[in-house]
Amino acid sequence: METTSLLLTWIIFTPALLGVLTLFAPSSLEGQLRKFALFQTIVNAILATIMYSGFIGQEAGYQFTHFVPWLPDWGINYIVGIDGISLPLVMLTAFVSPLAILGTWPDLSHGGELKLEKFFVALLMFLQAGMYGTFLAVDLFLFYFFWEVVLIPMFFLIGIWGGKERIYATVKFFLYTMVGSLLMLVAIFWLVRATQIQTGVLSASLDVISTLKFPFESATIWVALKSPQALLFLAFALAFVIKVPMVPFHTWLPDAHVQAPTIGSVFLAAVLLKLGTYGLMRIAIPLFPQAANYFSTMFIALGVIGIIYGAFCALAQSDFKKLVAYSSVSHMGYIMVGLFSFNKIAIAGSLYQMINHGISAGGLFLIVGFLYERLHTRNLNEFGGLSKIVPVMAIAFMIMTLSSVALPGSNGFVGEFPILLGSFQTHPWFVLFAGTGVILGAVYALKAYQLVMLGPVTRTDLGHLHDLNYREVIAMSVLTLFVFGIGFFPKTFFGKSDATLNLYADTLIQKVGSP
Amino acid sequence: MTLMEMFPLDTLSGADYMSLVPLMLLSFGAIISLLVGTHKTRGHGNAFIASGIILALCLLILGLNAGEDTTILLNGTLVIDTFTRTLSFFVCAFALIAVIITRGTDVKEHILSEVYALILFSTAGMILMMSTNHLLFMFIALEIMSLAVYVMVAMRRTSYFSAEAGLKYFILGGLGSAFLLYGSSLIFGATGSFDLHAIHTAITTKTPTAIYYVGLGLVLTSMLFKVGAVPFHGWVPDVYQGAATNVTAFMSAGVKFTAFMALARIAKSTIFAEGVPGMHWFEYYIWLVAAASMIYGNFVAISQNEIKRMLSFSTIAHTGYLLLGLYAMKMGPEASQSVIVYLFFYALSSLGAFAIVAQFENGNEKDVRLDQLAGMGLRHPVMGACMTIFLLSMAGIPLTSGFIGKYGLFNTAVNAGQVPLVVIAVLTSVVSVYYYLRVIVYMYMKEAEGEQAVFQNLRGAGLAATLSAAATVQFGLFPRAILELVKHLK
Repeated sequence: METTSLLLTWIIFTPALLGVLTLFAPSSLEGQLRKFALFQTIVNAILATIMYSGFIGQEAGYQFTHFVPWLPDWGINYIVGIDGISLPLVMLTAFVSPLAILGTWPDLSHGGELKLEKFFVALLMFLQAGMYGTFLAVDLFLFYFFWEVVLIPMFFLIGIWGGKERIYATVKFFLYTMVGSLLMLVAIFWLVRATQIQTGVLSASLDVISTLKFPFESATIWVALKSPQALLFLAFALAFVIKVPMVPFHTWLPDAHVQAPTIGSVFLAAVLLKLGTYGLMRIAIPLFPQAANYFSTMFIALGVIGIIYGAFCALAQSDFKKLVAYSSVSHMGYIMVGLFSFNKIAIAGSLYQMINHGISAGGLFLIVGFLYERLHTRNLNEFGGLSKIVPVMAIAFMIMTLSSVALPGSNGFVGEFPILLGSFQTHPWFVLFAGTGVILGAVYALKAYQLVMLGPVTRTDLGHLHDLNYREVIAMSVLTLFVFGIGFFPKTFFGKSDATLNLYADTLIQKVGSP
Repeated sequence: MTLMEMFPLDTLSGADYMSLVPLMLLSFGAIISLLVGTHKTRGHGNAFIASGIILALCLLILGLNAGEDTTILLNGTLVIDTFTRTLSFFVCAFALIAVIITRGTDVKEHILSEVYALILFSTAGMILMMSTNHLLFMFIALEIMSLAVYVMVAMRRTSYFSAEAGLKYFILGGLGSAFLLYGSSLIFGATGSFDLHAIHTAITTKTPTAIYYVGLGLVLTSMLFKVGAVPFHGWVPDVYQGAATNVTAFMSAGVKFTAFMALARIAKSTIFAEGVPGMHWFEYYIWLVAAASMIYGNFVAISQNEIKRMLSFSTIAHTGYLLLGLYAMKMGPEASQSVIVYLFFYALSSLGAFAIVAQFENGNEKDVRLDQLAGMGLRHPVMGACMTIFLLSMAGIPLTSGFIGKYGLFNTAVNAGQVPLVVIAVLTSVVSVYYYLRVIVYMYMKEAEGEQAVFQNLRGAGLAATLSAAATVQFGLFPRAILELVKHLK
């Protein structure tokens, strides 16, 4: 925690400040605001790249930390920092944001109209500020603060610009997350108090809290449930698995995805879901390792159920967007399995999978958005044979599909394979079932591709259907770059996380005392 | 003992008089406001200016004097120290905001110009209430405050609902006051004193008799009535709804703040006295009332379709959270600080929210229905944004002061070992998020259909709402100023 740098603070507050600025933009500039949003995301991507290049991969601790006393009486401070776990996620956010804006550029040529553009762009910026803040916070209170801040823009994005059932979806999304996060808040109170009792310092800093010890006994399930560590773990875990989402708390996700505007879906799938797994990885598991280990079988089982159940649900959908949404449930299940397997390889794989799912799901939602924009339907049965008319889109779609089904050479493989490999060593039977998810994943993803792109052309109104424009091509080609780049050279992309991941896994495994 | 011996007014020093200046200023100012308000055409404006200046002066004096030495007057009956001055400062600030809201609303709602004077009278009662440790004085202060509020509630002359609300509040409030008076007399019988410190000494040195417990129960009940806790909440929705909205705003901020402070003061020296047998029953009593208020207020608010009624049920829920803080007060002064902070932040958002509701023109109806709000946030972006901020603040979402308040309150309650009650509070506040969001959903996400409530931009209420919204966000991000201010209070 020696280095002090304002860089991370700039990353968080650039979008926030520009967002406030946007709110005061005169309405004559309304047509230019998307460009402004693109400018902001590119600025952030540049800042993130500067940060990335300055990040020292051999060090495991937090870097670029910035400390400002905020509410010292309550032990609350503004501390931001980055380590190998948050680094890839911040980079993901930084690169997905401009691509999402490029890929959902409003098409006004056919008499479309901007709806509350100023508000929309400002919300996008606030959303980014919240996401960066959550990933970069090193103070538990700050983490919670940003965690909640993320909710508000998303609530409006779905609620104002969403589909027909948008209000139901957005309120459900908000309430689901609130239930979990308020219990997490109680757990935070408890932790802050525990720091004062155990160390004599009132602090909510993760560095301090990670040194605490909480009693855990596992004689019987009731004894285990009554021990503080288990209660704390479950309170945090509930908040996070709702966000992941893990079966059976996943029902908000398909609703929210289907109703959200495309850019909302992209952010939701690519980044927001990762907040949940990031929270598990950063807080719930390392702070309460014995409890996490004790309940790990349950979480792995639920993760496996999520993989298979999500895959079957995806298979049954005729709504393209819902299919991708359920595929998210399935893919996030792998991360759950990896995180709770307490195996070094699987944990690293989970982190990779977070990034890879962000890329592939983000890409697929963009494709859904392209199709919906052009044909105003998401029903898979109403497409067919489009590859002959829109070949570039077909190629982009193919690449995203392959990434999603984890074809070797694509980024998806880099994530799922280590998870399965690593957790096979600890939970072979579960992995046997989880492995079927890979096959099912190929089935529904290819089915979607076939229904949309292949076969005979069924529609007659495709005369005005145009292929990807240059903005969309840019967005998809950058994503493609990442798909194959990570697929072939994972070390280049994730190398800087190695030191942190090694230390993380070693400490964790040593704490729980299992191989 | 003659009255002169009990209250030796002639021995007051200059400093003593100085500390009484706000009270005097408010009382005389109220009379001035009454007089200038009689002008045929510009009465409202005159009364507004007079009361505004008086309150601003009070704020100035209280602000400058806050650090002065403690003055003890009338044999320890009135204690004016940093604590009471700070609280009085808050109350005057609420009153000032209420006065600003009233400007413009008064003409719209056909309220007489006397409302300004009544606000001042009521504020004087509140300051008296904050400054006294004497149960009888508390009663008098309560009556000064409440009588003015009864009249204000009934003041919307053209509305049935207002008269109904006023009468209801008057009768039930009278009952509550009677409880306080009767309870105080029983406590006096048991301990030989009206002074809270003397009572505290009496009960800790000698186990009190049964009469004391009955008396304490009655006093507590009357206070719980005034703060509107379940099961004494019956008047809250009707009164909040029937009164003109500016009056509701004043009640939800000032009256609630004062009543709660009085309750806390009483509880501190009686229930939380160390080593008195039987006090745990009163703790259970508060525990139950807190839980019931949170659950009842939040769940009933869900099914309300009228905004003032919804806010009034939500205020019952907030009383529940505050009682949770009160319950935590036995652990030490941090809890009372967080209660004050919470009350202050809640009062800000509540004033602001009602300031916005006050701007709806809805004929002679009782209330504005939620569906009449549809699309309001888009048509009036600034007021919509302010309303969103207030609702999020009441729901306790970060970026707003409500979150800081809630965090502090729940935090101290957890520290006091009240985890089960905090879990109830947290879960019911998820429920509250639902109904607060509903308003936002109507304001931004529903298409306007059917008859809409006409939104009049009233300059006064608009100003008050903007100020409160700015303060809400300001304290949501940088609450240190308030926390530091309150930190030195006991």
